[in-house]
Amino acid sequence: MTRFLATFVVVVISLFIAELTQPVQTALVLPWTEALVHISAGLIRPFDDHIVIYGTLMQSTRGGFMLSIEPGCNGIEAAIILIAAMLSFPAPAAYRAIGILVGLVAVQTLNVVRVISLFYLGQWSMQAFEWAHFYLWQALIMLDVLIVWLIWIRRLPATATAAPVEAGAAANSAERGTMTR
Amino acid sequence: MTPDAPPLGRFVLRTLCWLAPCFALWYVVASALAPVTGTLAWGLLDLLQPRLVSALETTGRELAFVTSLRAPAAMGRSGVLVIEVNPLLYSYGTALFLALMLGARAQWWKLLAGALVLLPFHVWGVAFDLLAQALRLGPDIAVQIHAQGWRAEGVAIGYQLGSLLFPTLVPVLLWVGFCRAFVTRLGRRTGTGDALGVPASGRQ
Repeated sequence: MTRFLATFVVVVISLFIAELTQPVQTALVLPWTEALVHISAGLIRPFDDHIVIYGTLMQSTRGGFMLSIEPGCNGIEAAIILIAAMLSFPAPAAYRAIGILVGLVAVQTLNVVRVISLFYLGQWSMQAFEWAHFYLWQALIMLDVLIVWLIWIRRLPATATAAPVEAGAAANSAERGTMTR
Repeated sequence: MTPDAPPLGRFVLRTLCWLAPCFALWYVVASALAPVTGTLAWGLLDLLQPRLVSALETTGRELAFVTSLRAPAAMGRSGVLVIEVNPLLYSYGTALFLALMLGARAQWWKLLAGALVLLPFHVWGVAFDLLAQALRLGPDIAVQIHAQGWRAEGVAIGYQLGSLLFPTLVPVLLWVGFCRAFVTRLGRRTGTGDALGVPASGRQ
């Protein structure tokens, strides 16, 4: 547990700080945020053509409501947490890579749902929008990350995990006094 | 999956069902907790820069810090800056934590203990929100809070951690910590959860 937590915290903070640097913002964060706007608008358009996009902005041409996708709304922090959780847990490299890919798709899919729902909530009620935006969706995205991680652990191949678990057993035995509830 | 592994779906459903009442409870309690968070944030700010805040005003769930920062105004005059912070932005993870704990059917004292452990992270968020707001007001204010060069970067990182990572990540880590045996069983198929460090005898 201690080793998992320590690795997790180091990886999260490293990836998080890397995300804040200008090269990563330019090469990854901004293009992804713009792509997220395009994907969301692309899903909305077949049902509602009252939408225009500018960079990371989505605007309704009906009521004028404009949604700006900012840091924290693009799902990158959630992705960082998921990647760190999977990298920190003992697993075969291939299983880990598949888990990260599938997990990122799951997190970003829910994030697209979040963006679309916020786009319509904002047109309906600013109070509902703020509640959903600042509090509710943040919690739901984190819950999504947690569920993906738990499913990933649950499906971890038994044969592949035997070695790490056994290897960790010696280290764990020293910690057991403080690990039980 | 081992026979005693609790169904993940049922846990998720329980957590989702608890989420709405937990958010309602958090929102109701927030107005009572706002002065506590504000006072502790004032204390933290005092450690970072003594006498930066001279008074704290609470209106419902909103906090207003009267600072000693002087902002230039028209006609050569200057005014004292009052910086408002919404503490809910940093404490909503408490609702998630409570829902997860109730979803895992954790003991009641752990819910209360966890809510208490989360408080310093709310305080961090509020304090760094104030500093980040001050920093965004321009170089005149940045000089007054000594936030230049690496210190400005430190404020920015502290704010990003406090607003983007702590509110959701810490409650989940705390839940894992408080419900290790449950999480181990939840994630276990053939002992994989042992990597979290819970021995067979320690499982619920």
